[in-house]
Amino acid sequence: MRSLLNFLLRFKTLILFLILEAVALVMISSSHNYHQTIAYGAARSITGFVAKKIDKGENYFRLKKINDELLDENLTLHRRLEQLTSSQADTIIPVTDSLSGETYTYMNARVINNSVNKQKNFITLDKGSKDGVVNGMGVASSTGVAGIVVGVSRNYSVAMSLLNADFRLSASIERNNYFGSLTWDGGSYRYAKLSEIPHHVSIREGDTVVTSGYSAIFPAGLMAGTLTGEQTKGGDFISLNVLLSTDFKKLTNVYIIGNLKREEQQKIEEEAVK
Amino acid sequence: MNSILRYTGVFILLITLQLLIFNNIEFSGYVNPYVYVMFILILPFSIPSWLLLLLSFLTGLVVDLFSGTMGVHTFATVMAGFVRPWIISLNVTAEVADPDLSPSSHRNGIWWFFIYTITVVFIHHLTLFFIEIFSFTHFFHTLLRVILSTAVTTFFIIIFDLIRPRR
Repeated sequence: MRSLLNFLLRFKTLILFLILEAVALVMISSSHNYHQTIAYGAARSITGFVAKKIDKGENYFRLKKINDELLDENLTLHRRLEQLTSSQADTIIPVTDSLSGETYTYMNARVINNSVNKQKNFITLDKGSKDGVVNGMGVASSTGVAGIVVGVSRNYSVAMSLLNADFRLSASIERNNYFGSLTWDGGSYRYAKLSEIPHHVSIREGDTVVTSGYSAIFPAGLMAGTLTGEQTKGGDFISLNVLLSTDFKKLTNVYIIGNLKREEQQKIEEEAVK
Repeated sequence: MNSILRYTGVFILLITLQLLIFNNIEFSGYVNPYVYVMFILILPFSIPSWLLLLLSFLTGLVVDLFSGTMGVHTFATVMAGFVRPWIISLNVTAEVADPDLSPSSHRNGIWWFFIYTITVVFIHHLTLFFIEIFSFTHFFHTLLRVILSTAVTTFFIIIFDLIRPRR
């Protein structure tokens, strides 16, 4: 007993060191499961508040750019509206339930914290559970895909950025509809990889990469990026270099995209697999 | 008591600098300086190793909480706190006049402080970047990030040390 005590006293620093590192490892491994990160909701509310204050100041210097982007988008939407109203004018269908055809809902949010320099980047948004944000919703900017919501507190939510080593999204080449998996390799924040594309698919530089819509997070056809033409071969598939359409360094206004029928789709898919 | 207050002030200052300025430095994803390690470096020579470890843990935890990287900084900073006494003992050239003083360049010589800083910072960054990515698949890519970031962090810590009030 005495010798055990002596042993412990002699190595008390080493033992404390091992205990603290073990605690840190437990924290790391539990935060890898992104749905558990909600446990840090309290801390997030404080950091969200601080980040919001900083962001307010930073935003002031980007107002012109943001304004231009919004004007551009407004213009596009106006044109689209014009097309829709003019084509529907001669075939009027009485709609009693205005929600019946709607699948995706859109909500705008502001980015209050964001990074591009880590291996696992996250985006903090100023909308939370009180605005109806839930885990698994998609996040897109006016130029394309940005991330997926992984944590929600009352006033804020955190989205896993596309620039995150754990991010995975089903995306397809718009011209020929071949789909693969869009991931980020941790390098430049402007490029991602579209992998699992079969060898025989012909690709051209500048081909558009869009969401496939299979995951029921994003609607099909949402812009993700364009092919740069570079490719790496390995095994049965090739992986293509994609220039992302969203510039994550100036991400300010985003849309949170919800799918009203996601649960229904997932439920029937799970039942079919059983 | 006075020194506890002083170190608390330094702690708050370094964490604030880290979160507001250095976390926003982005240089093609390769340079991420983490100057908060300086807090671990300038604690007095006489600090007991258990207290050093606990303070390292606390420092890492605060940085983790505010940058949303649970545990990664905690792990790396505890590692830095653990190796610090060894680096000092390997590296003693001048006798330490007063063990209550903190390591600094004007007391221990700039060369001594440089070697001491770059070694601890390198171990901290090496642990940090590899724990963050959690794989060796992009080994040389990650190693390059470690080396470049270590250089920048060391540079800033030495600048801070030169301009801090001398006591």
